[in-house]
This record gives sequence, structure tokens and C-alpha cells, in this order.
Amino acid sequence: MRILLAEDDPLLGDGLRAGLRQAGFQVDWVRDGGAAERELRAEPYAAAVLDLGLPLKDGMAVLASIRRAGVKTPVLVLTARDAVPDRIRGLDLGADDYVVKPVDLHELAARLRALVRRAHGQPEDRLFALDVVLDPASRTVQRGGVPVTLPAREFDLLHALMLNAGRVLSREQLEQHLYSWGREVDSNAVEVHVHHLRRKLGNALIQTVRGVGYIVPREGMAP
Amino acid sequence: MRALPRSLQGRLLVLVLGVVTAVWLGAAVLTWRDARHELDELLDGHLAQAAALLVVQQARELEDDRAADAPVLHKYAPKVAFQVFHEGRLALRSPNAPELPMAEAGRRFKAGFRTVEIGGVAWRVFAAHGAERDVQVYVSEQVASRGAILWAVLRSAVWPMLLALPLLALAAWWAIYGGMAPLRRLGRALAERRPQALQPVVLPDAPSEMQPLVAALNGLFERISGLMDAERRFTADAAHELRTPIAAIRAQAQVALGEADAAQRRHALEATLEGCDRATRLVEQMLTLSRLETGAAPSPERLDLGDVARQAAAEAAPRAIAREQVIEVSAGTPCPVMGDATLAGVLVRNLVDNAIRYSPERAKVKLSVSRTDGLVVLTVEDSGPGLAPETAARLGERFFRVVGTGASGSGLGWSIVRRIAQVHGARVNVAASGDLGGLQVAIEWPAAPA
Repeated sequence: MRILLAEDDPLLGDGLRAGLRQAGFQVDWVRDGGAAERELRAEPYAAAVLDLGLPLKDGMAVLASIRRAGVKTPVLVLTARDAVPDRIRGLDLGADDYVVKPVDLHELAARLRALVRRAHGQPEDRLFALDVVLDPASRTVQRGGVPVTLPAREFDLLHALMLNAGRVLSREQLEQHLYSWGREVDSNAVEVHVHHLRRKLGNALIQTVRGVGYIVPREGMAP
Repeated sequence: MRALPRSLQGRLLVLVLGVVTAVWLGAAVLTWRDARHELDELLDGHLAQAAALLVVQQARELEDDRAADAPVLHKYAPKVAFQVFHEGRLALRSPNAPELPMAEAGRRFKAGFRTVEIGGVAWRVFAAHGAERDVQVYVSEQVASRGAILWAVLRSAVWPMLLALPLLALAAWWAIYGGMAPLRRLGRALAERRPQALQPVVLPDAPSEMQPLVAALNGLFERISGLMDAERRFTADAAHELRTPIAAIRAQAQVALGEADAAQRRHALEATLEGCDRATRLVEQMLTLSRLETGAAPSPERLDLGDVARQAAAEAAPRAIAREQVIEVSAGTPCPVMGDATLAGVLVRNLVDNAIRYSPERAKVKLSVSRTDGLVVLTVEDSGPGLAPETAARLGERFFRVVGTGASGSGLGWSIVRRIAQVHGARVNVAASGDLGGLQVAIEWPAAPA
């Protein structure tokens, strides 16, 4: 899952980026409010971690302005200000969660996963499709009760498709989910990953919509 | 011993009643003196008149030389007496009059008023004599009776006063109590406030005497409120500023724990240490500023700013060298100022620190100290990016950091520099460096007298 991290403090930003990467996220890091707003408007991030005390444009202002622009990306506000009025204002302005520094990295990752899940209307953390179960928290996949080991990229690709079960995702959209900035993407990387996933999980799970992209059928949809 | 009671009410009551009593007493004394004077004149007049009547009458009637007592006609009569002497012999007298003339013993007859003591009683005597015959008339009156009349007059004046005094005290107490009502209202309004309440006191009907008090009180509230706001802001800002490095330390430590790759783990651990250093520095800066702002008075001594600059440069040199920067000091002549050595050191260190921190690698940092008429000027300049004028104007706001420098300052250094300069009467000038192209900060310090 690709998320945007907006944090001006170099040391904290570096730590959060590394920690979230360990938790399996693809992290893009911006250091000021202007850049955060630009990126959130331009890219379909699964979620964003927004520090309120950002230079150039305050986090609250970024939040208000992206929500006005109709950006629905779930936003977790990270702040040193824990006064209740601040929290209320943040949530009213469209924040989906509010975390006070210092924060436990595991908790931050769990909250981000929950935000993404809720944004996709999923009541449970685990995702189901046919006989495949994907657990984002432990980053494990089972097929018919048997654990299947997947490399990180394949897991992320399957995660994106299962989160959006019932919807067709284009190759570009999948690439955006998979890679943060500055990573070279092979033109056929997505095809290769899909090929590997089908071999491990069966051909029925990921279907190709020719000329458009890929889809994982939702529960109850005819395969 | 306190002369007046502690309560304003009691004090006013004592003063009012005291003044009233004093005025009454004064009036009584004046009345008494006046009455005595008038009484003396009136009664003396009566004595003289009575004597004149006797003289005229005796001249015609007392042909026979027999002494006779006149009858007592009025209850007041025993207090008055008269004698008529004809050719040296007592011719007529009132029953209470002595046989000897009512005059000083052994003196020749002398007409007029005098006071004589006869048988232990003071008498007011008027003596007169006829012109043709040898007739001497003494008419007298007991002095004590005059006193009695005077006392009666005085009593009639004083009694109502004595009776009125308690009533007056009561009325005065009531009036003063009523007059004090605004003061009591103010006291109640203040007592009912919550301790944190610092809004102004509003007493629309406060009398004009209380307006300065209320205004002063409200001014005080406003100042305290400002101070507390600043304090609250500082505490909130400080908590905020501390949370970020702590969050960084935590995140980096957690990354290190979960990192399998040795190089990545090492990077996270180094970042953890850096975070600790930063938090330490931030706490030190906050403590310095807090000490400065709570007004710990500097202890001025004579010091050479050149020495201070050299020492600060020496301390900063390792950091500059680590960034391949060149640091140099030019301070030739002695540049004595009066100042607190520790604080002056903190000031210069902060400036040098900023120059190193915000200048790129291989930059140049130059300290110079010079002496010009009455001023010692310490300049710290660098070949860094400098500052936009609007940014320079915001330097010294607490926790204000220049955006996009990529360096992690506490945001307090400038507050500290400005505050130290202020307590020493020094001026801070920020400009672009002419020589190096970066930022130039000049501290103009009043030179110490030679």
C-alpha cells in the first residue's frame, strides 16, 4: 500500500518512513504543506500521515483544502498538540484519525491499515476472495487454510486487488499502489507479478479485463 | 500602639465623632466665655445701678443716724448684699452684709468694682459715694452665684449635645456603612472570582474615588493575563517542541529493533542518538531562555568580547571541521565590555552555531570584534544562503524556524540571543554579509569605560 508521509522534522520523518516500510507500506515523504497538498491531489494514495506543524502550509489548512477539492484519501493526523479542541477541529476538518506524538510504529501501521480498510467499506481486517484469505496485519495469505508465502510486491498487488474487489484496476493504478517515488518500474512488472500470483493461488482469483486491467471478484460474484 | 482602628468604617467613625466632639467642645468654651462676659457686664451694670439708687436715696433719707437692716424681699436676696455708711458709720445694710465695709482691709475707700473675700466667700463689690455728704455705698453679689448662672447656661447647651452624640454616632455609622457599599461589592466580586479568572472587574456604579483603584486592578489583571498567556504559550510550545524529538527517537529505536539489515539498523541507531542530542540541546536552550525570562539578573563584569569570540570559535571548530567549513576570528585590539561572562558566551555560541548549522558544507564562518566610538561590535557572518528580509524580521519568535534549511534547530537560539542582548543593553542588527554573501549578525555592545 502506498501512503504519503508529510513530516517536516528530518529525524522523525526518516524514522517513520523506515518504520512504515518495515510494516509493508510504500512511503512517499514530503516535508512541507504545499508539497503534501500537491501530492494528495495528484496521486491516489491509500492513506496519508499528516503532521499538523508543517511549514509553508499548516496541516489543518492542507486537510481543509484537499477535502474541499474532493480528495477522499483517508488522512491520519500526527501532531504534538493533544488539546481536545485541536483534535475536534482536526476531525471536523476531515481527518480520519488523530494520533499524538510520540507514536508507536506498530500502532501507527495498524491505524493506517484500519483507515484503508474502512475507506474500502471492509468491516474486518482480513480480506476474503474465493478460497483465499489475506491478512494485512501479519502480511500473510492462506489458500484453503494453507499458508502461501508471497514476496512483498506480490502481496501488495494482491492486497490492492482484494481491497478493491469487484472493481477493475488498471496497470497504472496498480503500479501506483506498488511503488513509491524514485523506483524503477519494469513495463511488464505487473504482468509478471499477476502471473506468479495465479500460479500460486489459482487462475480464477485474478481475472484479466482485456485492454483495461485486472479484477478480483467480490464475494457472491460469479467467477 | 495603633492610633486608629484597622477597619475603614471604624476609622471614619472615630474621626467623624472626634471632629464633631471637638467642634462641640470648642463651641461650648466659646459660649461659656461669651456668656460670662455678657453676664459680668449685665450684673455689674445692675450693681452699679443699685448703688446709684442707694446713693440718691440715702442722701435724702438718712438724716437720723441709726443703723438699720433692710428686709429680705426675695429668695435670691441672700446672694446679694449692700451697706450704706454715713459719715463713716454704718447706716443701712442688708441682713447678710457684714458690719465692716466690704472692701480690702486697711485700704482707703475707692469707688468702682472689685472682688473681695469676706468670711471665705468671694463677693463682687461695687463701691460708690455721694458727692455732697459723706455717704459710702457698697453693693455686692456672691461671685458663686454668677458661676451658677454660667453653669446653668452651659448645661443647657451641653446636655442636648451629650444626648445627641450616641444618635449621631449611630447615624454616622449607618451613613458610612452605606457609603462603603461599593468597596464591599468590589471585595465580594473579587472574592467570588475563580483563581484563574483575569477578566477586568466591572463596577458600573463605582464612585470616582474607587475608579483609580478599579482601573489599577484591571491593569494588573491585564498584565498578569498577558504574562500567563505567554507562559501558557511557552509551555504548550515547549511540550510540542519536545514531543517531536522524542517521537523521532522512539520511531528510530523501533525501526532499529525491527530492522534485519545491519546497515539500516546502524543508520536508525545513529539517528536515535542524534535525536537524543537534539532533545538535550532543546532542553538546554529552553532552560537558558527560561532562566533569562524569569529575570535572573546578569552579574556584569569586565570582559573582552574578543576572548569570548575566540573561545566560542574554538568550541565550535570541531563541528565546523566536520562539515569542512572554515571558521576564523579577527579580534585585534582589546574590546572590553561590561557583561555576564556566561551569558555573553551563550550569545556568541548561539550565533556561531547558527552560522555553522545553516551554512552548507565548505562554507566560511567569520567572527570579528572591533571597537568604534563607544561601541564594541561583534560580527558573525557566513557564506551561507542568507535570509529573506521577511524571514529576518521573524527571527527571535520562539520556535520559529527558517523553512527549507534541512537543518534541525531548536527555534530558540534567536530568542536567547535577543534576550541576552536586551539585558545587556546591546543591539542586534541582521543584514547581508558584504564579504561572504551570507547572513551577517552584528551585536553592538556598549564599550566598558576605559
